[in-house]
Amino acid sequence: MELIVQVCVSGLLLGGIYALISIGLNLIFGVVRIINFAHGEMVMVAMYLTFWLNYFFGMDPYVSAIIVLPVMFLFGVVIQRIIVQPIQSSSANMKIFATVALSLILQNVALIVCTGNFRTVQVSYGMGTFELAGIFISIPRLVAFFAALGSITLLYYFLKSTYTGKALRAIVEDPIIARLMGVKVQKLYMLAFGIGCAFTALGGVLLMPFSSVYPTVGIPFTLIAFIVVVLGGLGSMTGTFLAGLFIGVVEAVGGTYVSPALKEAIYFGIFIIAILIRPQGIFGKGAGSEEVGLK
Amino acid sequence: MRTSKFKTAAIILLLALLVVPLFFTSTFVLHMFTLVFFYIALTAAWNIPAFGGKFSLGHAAFFGLGAYTASILYVKLGISPFIGIVAGTFVAMLGGVILTFPLIRLKGPFFTLASIAFAEVLRMVAVDWRALTNGSVGINIPFKPSWLNLTFTSGAPFYYIALGMAILVILLAWWIRSSALGYHLRAAAADEDAARALGINTARAHFLGLMWSSGLTGMIAVFYVFYNYVLEPGTAFSLPLFSLQPAMNGIIGGMGTVWGPVIGAIIMTPLGEFLRFYLGTIQQGLNFVVYGLMLIAVVNFVPGGIISLLEPWFKKKKTDEPSSADN
Repeated sequence: MELIVQVCVSGLLLGGIYALISIGLNLIFGVVRIINFAHGEMVMVAMYLTFWLNYFFGMDPYVSAIIVLPVMFLFGVVIQRIIVQPIQSSSANMKIFATVALSLILQNVALIVCTGNFRTVQVSYGMGTFELAGIFISIPRLVAFFAALGSITLLYYFLKSTYTGKALRAIVEDPIIARLMGVKVQKLYMLAFGIGCAFTALGGVLLMPFSSVYPTVGIPFTLIAFIVVVLGGLGSMTGTFLAGLFIGVVEAVGGTYVSPALKEAIYFGIFIIAILIRPQGIFGKGAGSEEVGLK
Repeated sequence: MRTSKFKTAAIILLLALLVVPLFFTSTFVLHMFTLVFFYIALTAAWNIPAFGGKFSLGHAAFFGLGAYTASILYVKLGISPFIGIVAGTFVAMLGGVILTFPLIRLKGPFFTLASIAFAEVLRMVAVDWRALTNGSVGINIPFKPSWLNLTFTSGAPFYYIALGMAILVILLAWWIRSSALGYHLRAAAADEDAARALGINTARAHFLGLMWSSGLTGMIAVFYVFYNYVLEPGTAFSLPLFSLQPAMNGIIGGMGTVWGPVIGAIIMTPLGEFLRFYLGTIQQGLNFVVYGLMLIAVVNFVPGGIISLLEPWFKKKKTDEPSSADN
């Protein structure tokens, strides 16, 4: 009994980070309508930035977010401007090719620049835990969970109450009508890609104190983020958050009771079931996420 | 008149390719030709679902299934690789069935994602199921040269096998594309809903397309394993080698056409080998950076692939062939 509670708690905490990474994808996917196959590579780049800032300047991973997030925001804006914008109107397959190419480039540039070694950041609290009612809670994971919760709440209010946020939501609902209403779509695409990238990067930063980075670290994150977005529904922040937690718990439970090596098989199963049963997502608001990228 | 010229040119080219091993005894030259033929076959097989606009990044799954089936049968049970070829083809097809049955209605990007996940899952299983696959250690094909063991002392037999496979798959792809199935697939690629409204069973067309593709990929994989003598999960189910590489060849050459994959493989394979052997010793991974840049350039400047640049020249020969590369 104690074990299952322990496992679920670790899963929930990890799920917070998954939710954060997936919120970034949801924004990019929903607003720009691009299937970003390089999403996990954004996590990877952010993790490397955190690592190097720590390696060269001894910067604490959490403090380095002050530098990593703006850099990754710009990175997202540049990707949108240089790679996505020129092919905005072409077919879904073309966009897939472009982002697959981007992920290939980022992975291999990382391999060239940083070599294939596993890199970790050594911090005093990296292995820190405390006990609460017989359950061990890892401190960096707890921090990550609350940081994820906080920043998702922040994004939620940004989208709900600011003019820019409303314009972004309008694009998710209907890009053509939004454009007709005078929304500056191209600029907001860049903004959405930038914000999405920054949120994804925050996930990478929060992962760094308790995990290691290597060039292909991002591949599972792309898959996880897509599953979470499909489960949670396009354009739904709450849905994405809950789906992220769900995937975290499933991974932890599956890893403990089935086999850690097969956790991707479990994701795959969930992904297929989710798409078959409810392609618009559990919390989806119509729009049909299965149609995205084809219009 | 033009068609007959085309035929003469094809026959001359084929004859030239047939005598290559007689003049070039260098293993490097033969290896390069063999590799190009392998990749032509793989890319042409990958390209069959692409007639219908389905973009797979999971063909490593079928490759791995075919390769493992034949080598397990041969190494563990002593069954001839010639039976292994048939078995490998069927098991790879079965993988295609497992992948498509639930996913046949998935549109574009979701099919692509699911195909990646499928290959990754199989790789995990191959690592995990040590009793059957030897896990990460892999399986070695013992060196017992004989026709029956599909093991040879020189590179020439595999040169001819690979050439034969490339021709077979190109002919099959050409036949499929100009058959009813091909027209159904191309209609589905152009507009899935409209095709269905016209009474085309697009799900069935995609299914059949993927069956051909997965089976042929499995068959090619069997030869590839016996050419290389060794098999392990990391390479057999390798995303870059057998999912991305054929897809890239296809896109750069011209996805959804018969000759696009051929052109793509002829350009990309030697380029890849060059980058890997000459620059790879200096910088591992540089070849993929170049691939990525090429891919972005193609998407931006020649979305139809290199074949679309040759189209005006091709069109004169086959006026009845509408181009469907740019769906």
